[in-house]
Amino acid sequence: MAGNMRQYAFFLGCIAPNRYPGCEAAAIKTSAKLGIELLPLKGAGCCPAPGAFGAIDLKVWYALAARNIVLAEEMKMDITLICNGCYKSIWEVNHILKHNDELRDGVNEVLAEVDMEFKGSIDVWHLIELYYDKKVCGVEKVRDSVVRPLTGTKIAAHYGCHLLKPKKERHFGDTDNPMWFEELIEALGAESVQYRNKMQCCGAGGGVRGYDLTHSLDITNEKLINLEEVGADALTEVCPFCQLQYDRGQVEIEEKFGKKYGLPVLHYNELLGLAQGMTPQELALDLHAIDCTPFLEKIR
Amino acid sequence: MAKVKEYGNAELEEKLRDTSYYTDDSNPQFLEDVKKISRTAANMCFQCGTCTGSCPSAPRSSYRIRLFMRKGVLGLEKEALNDPDLWLCTTCYSCTDRCPRDLAPTDVIMAMRNLAFKFDIVPRNFLKTVQLIYNSGHGVPNNDVNRAARVKLGLPADPPTTHSYPEFIPGIQKIMDFYKMKENADRILSEGEH
Repeated sequence: MAGNMRQYAFFLGCIAPNRYPGCEAAAIKTSAKLGIELLPLKGAGCCPAPGAFGAIDLKVWYALAARNIVLAEEMKMDITLICNGCYKSIWEVNHILKHNDELRDGVNEVLAEVDMEFKGSIDVWHLIELYYDKKVCGVEKVRDSVVRPLTGTKIAAHYGCHLLKPKKERHFGDTDNPMWFEELIEALGAESVQYRNKMQCCGAGGGVRGYDLTHSLDITNEKLINLEEVGADALTEVCPFCQLQYDRGQVEIEEKFGKKYGLPVLHYNELLGLAQGMTPQELALDLHAIDCTPFLEKIR
Repeated sequence: MAKVKEYGNAELEEKLRDTSYYTDDSNPQFLEDVKKISRTAANMCFQCGTCTGSCPSAPRSSYRIRLFMRKGVLGLEKEALNDPDLWLCTTCYSCTDRCPRDLAPTDVIMAMRNLAFKFDIVPRNFLKTVQLIYNSGHGVPNNDVNRAARVKLGLPADPPTTHSYPEFIPGIQKIMDFYKMKENADRILSEGEH
């Protein structure tokens, strides 16, 4: 079995391990059943946050992201990760430094201070793109791994921003109405639902959540109104920061705007974990601000 | 520039001398700096407004990304950098995906934020993130509730990041010190407390 496993350095980021550890546990266990082994990327730090950190000085953002990439280069392993924000930092900086000699030389000048060098010898993947990629896993394999289908539930997809956009610097194609995430949701036995403006931002990024919480939540609220309209039982995403914004954000929205939604928000790996037979306890769903029980009870 | 160039057209030259048509506040270098940092040809913007129309922040605030694009072209550095709306971009890149000139307005905003920081213009929450990363390696560090939850899941109490390997933190600090980032963040935060 071990011989057939593809190995990746698992870049954790901040919010998954430090706020929603169920995402981390689920990613490791569910991927193992799909032939993907996630190994710890020792000493990694913040990606660092592309909006909050890149806004201050992009040069430091390049250098700190490069430090994380070099840790994986030293392991001679591609990176995989489970957060769109991390994807923006790690994937994009890896891509830019591979193609821009001037920036790469600048970064390597700084990295020399800590005895490191960016070589450009590895690739970076979001775990969800590995799941969708037939060469690595594919939707069929995901479907075959399901032992407890999520039949009877209606699940909406939130793609998030930094995985797909800007599309001219990515490889995911259409960003107006993509449907590949829905395929992965339906592979779990659930029904995927469409809703208005599904590609809109969650509202948290760019440091806006910290800068103007009410403004940020107002964007989230618009998404929640659209989700309520189609009667989604749960929302799924591939970004723990979006998850935090939708999950804890609902509590803040109730306080600020007096509107209660009670919409469970689960990372795709948490959903996959449930479908592969993991219990809510094994996924630490009790750490979610919004109770997931109504969703769990819908599963027939 | 308009004031020194001669066009051999008295009517036009009179117009060009009229200060209601230009401002002395314009700094042409601003556009060049924005272009260099953003790596996008910001001067190519033809002000169609697709960016503002795509923007999730626009309907709920006075933030207009098209305005920042224009201020960049006109070199209105002070106006752009002192505008509190500069910090309302969620960096969703919808404008960048839809720009008919194939520009990246989002990256123009990021470049302007970088330039604002050079003048100490930056919201406090951004600086707090800098301090957290400097001290722990993480922008969102672990806590006791989460440690207990991790152990229950069979994970180590601290993830295998700088939290479990603090010997990597000095490397992060060296990189940030190279750009005097923490020093500047501390200074701006302490000056704000007076």
